[in-house]
Amino acid sequence: MLKISPEELKLVAQYIYDVSGIYLDQSKSYLFETRLGAIAAEHGCNTYKELYQKAKTDPSKIFERKIIDAISTNETLFFRDKGPFELLQHKLLPEMIDARTPNSPNLKTNIKIWSAASSTGQELYSIAIIIKELLPNSSKYSVQLLGTDISDGAVAQASRGKYNKFEMERGLPGDKLQRYFTMFGDSWTIKDEIRAMVQFKKFNLMMPFTGLGKFDIIFCRNVAIYFTLPDRQKLFNKIADSLADDGYLIIGSTESLTGICPRFIPKRHLRSIFYQKTK
Amino acid sequence: MKNMTILIVDDDPVVRKMLEKRLEKAGYEVLIAEDGYQAEKILTQQHVDVVLTDLMMPGTIGGIEVLEIAKKLNSSIEVILITAHSSVDTAVAAMKKGAADYLEKPINFDELFLRLEKIANVQSLLRNAMDISEAMDTTESVASETIQNLEIRTAELQGRLNTLEDILRDEKIDSYDRIYKALDLLEKFK
Ligand SMILES: C[S@@+](CC[C@H](N)C(=O)[O-])C[C@H]1O[C@@H](n2cnc3c(N)ncnc32)[C@H](O)[C@@H]1O
Repeated sequence: MLKISPEELKLVAQYIYDVSGIYLDQSKSYLFETRLGAIAAEHGCNTYKELYQKAKTDPSKIFERKIIDAISTNETLFFRDKGPFELLQHKLLPEMIDARTPNSPNLKTNIKIWSAASSTGQELYSIAIIIKELLPNSSKYSVQLLGTDISDGAVAQASRGKYNKFEMERGLPGDKLQRYFTMFGDSWTIKDEIRAMVQFKKFNLMMPFTGLGKFDIIFCRNVAIYFTLPDRQKLFNKIADSLADDGYLIIGSTESLTGICPRFIPKRHLRSIFYQKTK
Repeated sequence: MKNMTILIVDDDPVVRKMLEKRLEKAGYEVLIAEDGYQAEKILTQQHVDVVLTDLMMPGTIGGIEVLEIAKKLNSSIEVILITAHSSVDTAVAAMKKGAADYLEKPINFDELFLRLEKIANVQSLLRNAMDISEAMDTTESVASETIQNLEIRTAELQGRLNTLEDILRDEKIDSYDRIYKALDLLEKFK
């Protein structure tokens, strides 16, 4: 494996920060080597500096895409941490449906949910499965489910909805697995009835949130941990702008907004915490 | 699970063409080498997930050598050897050198696709495992930072409450002044 020098480490870490906001500890040289070494080899680069220069000047952004795919940590699972999904099913969705149901019976109930770092899709598909089970009479409701991520590879995988055995066995109860997936060889694919409910797009959370609109529920879990403190502050400020005044925000179970965004207050329900905007 | 790139190495143009067609149709990215030399060149220049190589090829770089070159460049590249029935022994010996598998001629495509599916699965598991340990690392260090900050903040707030209590209970000062002092202190905390 191609070795990375301290100067190259600085250069490449800064590049990755510039294109993704991901702040990588420079003590993790192994991470750069194991993840970027293959890309360097593939494009005949003899040093990481060469790779960096190619990436910086490449108008097609192929290098940028590949580097982001390689460096981003896509670890996720179906119904991760369970709590937030129980919260969604038993409290947030029923309350949001009440709040959004129009007086006229002819009008639909519109709800928009966003998984802001959807990785390979498990989080959004878990939400879709809950909605499918909660709202069997879906013609009365229009629920928009959007998943975004900076990694093209993750977005492509999410859209395909194809998972290996290990990804399936983590977190997915057997009955849901049988009901919502089809097996082929060693892998499983999400059924069209669920896939049709969701949409995945590439989006960099460091960019302005123009054109996304307002959401009723936002999941922004386990992504801010890769950012610096000032970037986290900016991110949650933008999220506050994109959340409906009575909307709900869910962050990762090991994360906290204390000292990051005073516009949110935490609320507890059973064993989970969710956030709402301060009045 | 992502698409794999497969390098086909075979000196027989008919076999090459057939493999290329079938694999492309199945959705794999395909690269072609006519002999071991070309294979070596491609391996040093491009990313390859799986090498599918004929065992017996003219020249000094045969299937075994391609296997050795690939494994040396990147041990996570998987190599499948294609052999005539008569050379199964050599193929088994190659497995000891790290080949993932071997297929006997004529190639049974169902069998080939099953093996490739298995390799794809293992490679995506490997990526999962790398991502898990990396994610655990980051989560743990950020979570411990968060807990430390909350701990310090809670202690600070407790300290302020104690000071406030001291002020409000201080009987040496008249009650109006105590409230005034307490409010002053609260103002400073903002
Ligand atoms: C550990 S996963 C979290 C997935 C899911 N939310 C969960 O909690 O299981 C983190 C994801 O954040 C994405 N990411 C990193 N930086 C990003 C950015 N600037 N904009 C959007 N997504 C980003 C990564 O590509 C990765 O898929």
